[in-house]
Amino acid sequence: MKNEGKRYALAIDSRKCINCKACVVACRAENHVPLGHSRNWINEEHRGSWPKLFASFEPEQCHHCANPSCVRVCPTGASYQRADGIVMINEDECIGCRYCIVACPYGARFFREDTGVVEKCTLCAHRVDRGEAPACVETCPSKARIFGDLFDENGPLQQVLSTREHRVSKPQTGNSPQIYYLF
Amino acid sequence: MHEFEWGFLIVNYLFLGGLSAGLFFVSALASWLQQREDSDYSAIARAGALLAPWPVALGSLLLIFDLGNWWRFYKLFLHFRWQSPMSIGSWLLVVFTGIAFANCWAWVPADVKRTLLARVKLPEAWAGFPVNARILAAIGFPMSIGVAIYTGVLLGAVQARPFWNTNLVAQMFLFSALSSGCAALLIALSLRRQQLDSIQLRFLYTIDVCLISLEFFIVLPYLIHGELSVEAVRQSLALVLGGPYTVAFWVFFLGIGLLLPLAIEVWELAPAVFSGGSLHHNRRLTVLTAALVVFGGYMLRYIFVYAGQSSSFH
Amino acid sequence: MSEATIPRRAFFHIAAAGAVATQIGCGRRPNTAGQRYEVATACESCPNKCSVIAVVEGGMIRKLNPNPRNPKSRGMLCARGNAGILQAYDPNRLKQPMIREGKRGEGKWRNASWEEAFDYAAGKLAAIKEKYGPQGVVWSSTESFAEIFFKNLGLAYGTPNIVRHPTLCLASVNLAYSMTFGTVPSFDLQNANYVIMAGANRFESFITPDTMDLIESTMNRKARLICLDPRFTVTAAKADTWFPIKPGTDMAFILAMLHVIIGEGRYDKAFLDTYSTGFDKLQAHVIQYTPEWAEKQTEIPASEIVRIAREFSDAAPRAVFYAGRRSSWYQNDFQMRRAQAILNAVVGNWDKQGGMVPNGKMPLGELLFLPWDDPQAPRVDELDKNFPLAAKGDGAYLKLRENVLAGTPYPVKGWMISKQDPFNALPDQSKTLRMMEQMDFIGVIDIQMSDTAWYADVVFPESTYLERTDPIEMLPGIWPAVVMRQQVIKPLHNTKPCLDIVQGLAKRLNLSQYFDYTIEQWNEAAAKEMPIEMPLEYLKKHGVYASPDPPRYGATLQPEHRFVTKSGKIELFSERLQEAGHDPLPVYHAPEQPPAGRFRLVLGRKAFFTHANNTTNPWLLDFQKENRLWMHPQSAKPTGIADGDLVEVTSSVGSVRLRVKVAEEIRPDCVHMLHGFGKRSPWLKRAGEGGADAAILETAWDRVSGNAALHETFVQVRKVGVPS
Ligand SMILES: Nc1nc2c(c(=O)[nH]1)N[C@H]1C(S)=C(S)[C@@H](COP(=O)(O)OP(=O)(O)OC[C@H]3O[C@@H](n4cnc5c(=O)[nH]c(N)nc54)[C@H](O)[C@@H]3O)O[C@H]1N2
Ligand SMILES: Nc1nc2c(c(=O)[nH]1)N[C@H]1C(S)=C(S)[C@@H](COP(=O)(O)OP(=O)(O)OC[C@H]3O[C@@H](n4cnc5c(=O)[nH]c(N)nc54)[C@H](O)[C@@H]3O)O[C@H]1N2
Ligand code: SF4
Ligand code: SF4
Ligand code: SF4
Ligand code: SF4
Ligand code: SF4
Ligand SMILES: [Mo]
Repeated sequence: MKNEGKRYALAIDSRKCINCKACVVACRAENHVPLGHSRNWINEEHRGSWPKLFASFEPEQCHHCANPSCVRVCPTGASYQRADGIVMINEDECIGCRYCIVACPYGARFFREDTGVVEKCTLCAHRVDRGEAPACVETCPSKARIFGDLFDENGPLQQVLSTREHRVSKPQTGNSPQIYYLF
Repeated sequence: MHEFEWGFLIVNYLFLGGLSAGLFFVSALASWLQQREDSDYSAIARAGALLAPWPVALGSLLLIFDLGNWWRFYKLFLHFRWQSPMSIGSWLLVVFTGIAFANCWAWVPADVKRTLLARVKLPEAWAGFPVNARILAAIGFPMSIGVAIYTGVLLGAVQARPFWNTNLVAQMFLFSALSSGCAALLIALSLRRQQLDSIQLRFLYTIDVCLISLEFFIVLPYLIHGELSVEAVRQSLALVLGGPYTVAFWVFFLGIGLLLPLAIEVWELAPAVFSGGSLHHNRRLTVLTAALVVFGGYMLRYIFVYAGQSSSFH
Repeated sequence: MSEATIPRRAFFHIAAAGAVATQIGCGRRPNTAGQRYEVATACESCPNKCSVIAVVEGGMIRKLNPNPRNPKSRGMLCARGNAGILQAYDPNRLKQPMIREGKRGEGKWRNASWEEAFDYAAGKLAAIKEKYGPQGVVWSSTESFAEIFFKNLGLAYGTPNIVRHPTLCLASVNLAYSMTFGTVPSFDLQNANYVIMAGANRFESFITPDTMDLIESTMNRKARLICLDPRFTVTAAKADTWFPIKPGTDMAFILAMLHVIIGEGRYDKAFLDTYSTGFDKLQAHVIQYTPEWAEKQTEIPASEIVRIAREFSDAAPRAVFYAGRRSSWYQNDFQMRRAQAILNAVVGNWDKQGGMVPNGKMPLGELLFLPWDDPQAPRVDELDKNFPLAAKGDGAYLKLRENVLAGTPYPVKGWMISKQDPFNALPDQSKTLRMMEQMDFIGVIDIQMSDTAWYADVVFPESTYLERTDPIEMLPGIWPAVVMRQQVIKPLHNTKPCLDIVQGLAKRLNLSQYFDYTIEQWNEAAAKEMPIEMPLEYLKKHGVYASPDPPRYGATLQPEHRFVTKSGKIELFSERLQEAGHDPLPVYHAPEQPPAGRFRLVLGRKAFFTHANNTTNPWLLDFQKENRLWMHPQSAKPTGIADGDLVEVTSSVGSVRLRVKVAEEIRPDCVHMLHGFGKRSPWLKRAGEGGADAAILETAWDRVSGNAALHETFVQVRKVGVPS
């Protein structure tokens, strides 16, 4: 792996997630996400039957895929990927065709009725560029979310990825998603 | 549970685009095959040429109308992104629509052209343009195939939707589009006062039977291939094999919209082909059959647009 | 939406400054061009007081970020803390003083100036004092930084009837640990290796730093977590073992653990010999409580009780039976918590890393404007007679309500309420309503027209926590901290902070001499004792001061240490309890069980709502728009109730209607509904739909502490409709 530049990504320890929704509200506040939509969400799974019950919670948002199908299909180039891996939408270029929504295998995008453009998690690029952590990462009570630079060998992300087993969601999509779920 | 990003406007758009492509395709074929100006085929060529540009123009308007920011649609033409089927498609669509209109103009009788031009106070010289409809047909022919395929590629290229993500979808859409165009011509020509003659009928039926058969033999492998494919594809096929779209698929698309008209058309053609007799001329049946084909083409788009969006990797 | 066709940027050009406020919360990016600055402050969306850094842009609060300096909030802000912005920008909040015109609860209000409101209220309070004495007014409030001002006004006025939220919340657990250890310790979940959570739903009911420490220790350090709860909560989901314990039988489980631990000699003998009294009596007492016996009570297998007892004592001292926070459960709650305290003591986890740790403190100074005279009259709840051991200053809310309704021992005709919603916080709304109806005067200080405020005479709008500076406060704990709440933006409306409201009333009641200071002066005096230079400046800058040294353990582990108990030792056996006529050792009495066709109503929280007070917040309501009655399929099916059906839930005091959630996540003999729904006040029209639990909860209290007992209600469920 070349060590130049940065490659931002997330690791998520779902076992730690308590479904408290702090991340969802923090994102709503930070990014003015309109009610009825969310840039991030918690997948709940309930299994078993009384009294052997299980529940698990898996936070999800845009995976900032290394090979993002949303960017590929965008006819105007409004969807693009920054050099540091963050997949962004240029709202001024977006025509609102919603092809990217249909093309995202993770359901990460939504259409804003009020602005007529598509929106999704930006990995809080504006905060990251100031050297801050994404809002959802910062606020999480259980610190289930770990943000960092994959190229930074001593950074928090590589630290945890090199010591813990992990997986990505639906690797068969071919998108090479960049949220690493820890086991 | 699932929210549909693309709805009826997109279904209509895909259908109308395909319809135009089909009309143009059949018209161009007829135009080449005509020996003389007043041959049997020229009526088909003219009808196709006159009808072809309108559905796609309407469809494009629907597409623009469906955009979140319709006034930004021009941005589609500030970029060319070869990886985006929509980008390629948009370019293809304008070029094709332009040719289809030119071709349409070419087939308008000279006196009508002059009257029309006079009414809108345009130079009379425009009546002479374009000179050679056959060349337009030749350029537009591949374009029409491109547009017909494109409506399928738009969906088929989306790897996120296992229901769509096979190039068989593009082929299915191609044949369905062309056969819809052919059927539309059958309807249009049957509704004239003047009866279709045997040669014309035989021409259109033959093309349509070929196209429907091709389509059917794409649908079959689509299903078989899907069943033999990875889990996600099998799960997505469940949408039509015991899911919310099963009735629409088997009854309305495959049954009423594909196999039934195929059977009728074969039956109509049969005496001419097998016993050297003449076609069963039955104007009503022709219109009904062709309408079923068009309906089937519409159902195909409806089912694919909706079911495809419901499919995902679980 | 009509703006849909106007490009967003153009729209913001047109938007007037006033309209900006309403943009928050509707997802539109507000016009935040303008100066950006940050203010360190503290959250008020629940009692935890987490530290916050508020980001202001263009005069509007843009974001609340966690402040990592606070060792209690540990760099987090929960969903409610994040949604706190909307409190200030709530279009339905109180914006100016209001005086009631029509009948009580009729909803005819007139806007009043502060002068008018003060004059009116002070006039009423003076008249009541004149006629009934100062004891004729009840002064009630829930914990907050500024509560001290409000409470002091009551004391200065001269009423003995100060009643505070602990008697709805944690009075029994506090008393039980105090009676045992002379203090209420914290639990070192950061370092514990074995944790038993009986009902304390830490992963949904946030307590700082316990919630974060527990997730860290269970998930990262592999500490073992045992959860006992009749509901399958998030805590249960994360636990190594969850037992759907039969409600009200926790004490049997604890006593059986003691039976095993003592019977097998697994207790910390040296520790008990040095620091405790009454072990012999305890040893003899628990012989009767075998695991087999406890299995019948709790429905937890005896073998599991034995296993847990052994594992627990093996892990000690890094093992805790967590005390719980809301202990307003059953009429024997105090004794159950005593049993816990004893169990913890027996394994010797006192003042050890990973065990129970007496709270550290930090010095704060005081502005003294005392003394006001001690009240002449006894308390109306007759605390001395009914609950002689209970904390004197907090009262016993439910007994107080009974006596006020009965007019004994004397009439009470006035009610001052601050930051509390007794209409929802007390069981049995019809009783609370009757108590309100017999009042000559009710004054409420709140930020919104709560259900309680709706029945008041005067409503004083307090500035929301983001618009005011409050007294600084020390948060005791294993790692104590001093935190400060300071004004982030100027009040958006005609509202005042608590101190100003208190001063306005004090002036007219001729009590100004006790409130002759500004918030600045108060905070300066308080900060003076802090062990740093320029303490107030430090707090204004950073919002929190925590000792730079990490916590130390074992300060009380000196043989000569005197615990603040009668004997100076940890009292396993309590003579004071015996003298007061209570069991000196916890004696088990099986709880009454619901008869056939009835269910026990159990309460519990969700991580994104606080009590009854922020179910109007659109960002939170988005996660759950109604409360539903949880019902196990085994109990729903025979009655023909299906998921989504509308049912009527009836107890002996009332009934409510709400829809059913058929769920495996609750015992078949229980039902559950979330607090904070089914509001009456039309001003809370944004609140979610459903039923109010307080309408059907019956009145009951813990016998020793007087704490409310909120899990003692049996209800009937009748289907009245199908999902529409
Ligand atoms: N049914 C039922 N009853 C319960 C409980 C339960 O779970 N279920 N829980 C019990 C427990 S543990 C507790 S602690 C109590 C809590 O009881 P309360 O303290 O009454 O709880 P809240 O619903 O938070 O009500 C607080 C009131 O303060 C107002 N408020 C919020 N912020 C401010 C502010 O800054 N200033 C002022 N002046 N007012 C403000 C709110 O609008 C609300 O009206 O309830 C107890 N009662
Ligand atoms: N998100 C959020 N956090 C909060 C608050 C809030 O309102 N919202 N409020 C704060 C306050 S003031 C308090 S007091 C605390 C309260 O926090 P907790 O002390 O955790 O109290 P509850 O959430 O009321 O949870 C009580 C649990 O006990 C279970 N239970 C009921 N009966 C029994 C029984 O007999 N045995 C056992 N073992 N379990 C039983 C219930 O099912 C429920 O899950 O939370 C604080 N934190
Ligand atoms: S804030 Fe953290 S714990 Fe809470 S829901 Fe989000 S990821 Fe889970
Ligand atoms: S998750 Fe979806 S939106 Fe995000 S980069 Fe991948 S394909 Fe694009
Ligand atoms: S909706 Fe916008 S971002 Fe998405 S594909 Fe269309 S133009 Fe690109
Ligand atoms: S990284 Fe930022 S934009 Fe993405 S989900 Fe988290 S808070 Fe929202
Ligand atoms: S736990 Fe949440 S609501 Fe309570 S003080 Fe902390 S951030 Fe605020
Ligand atoms: Mo509480």
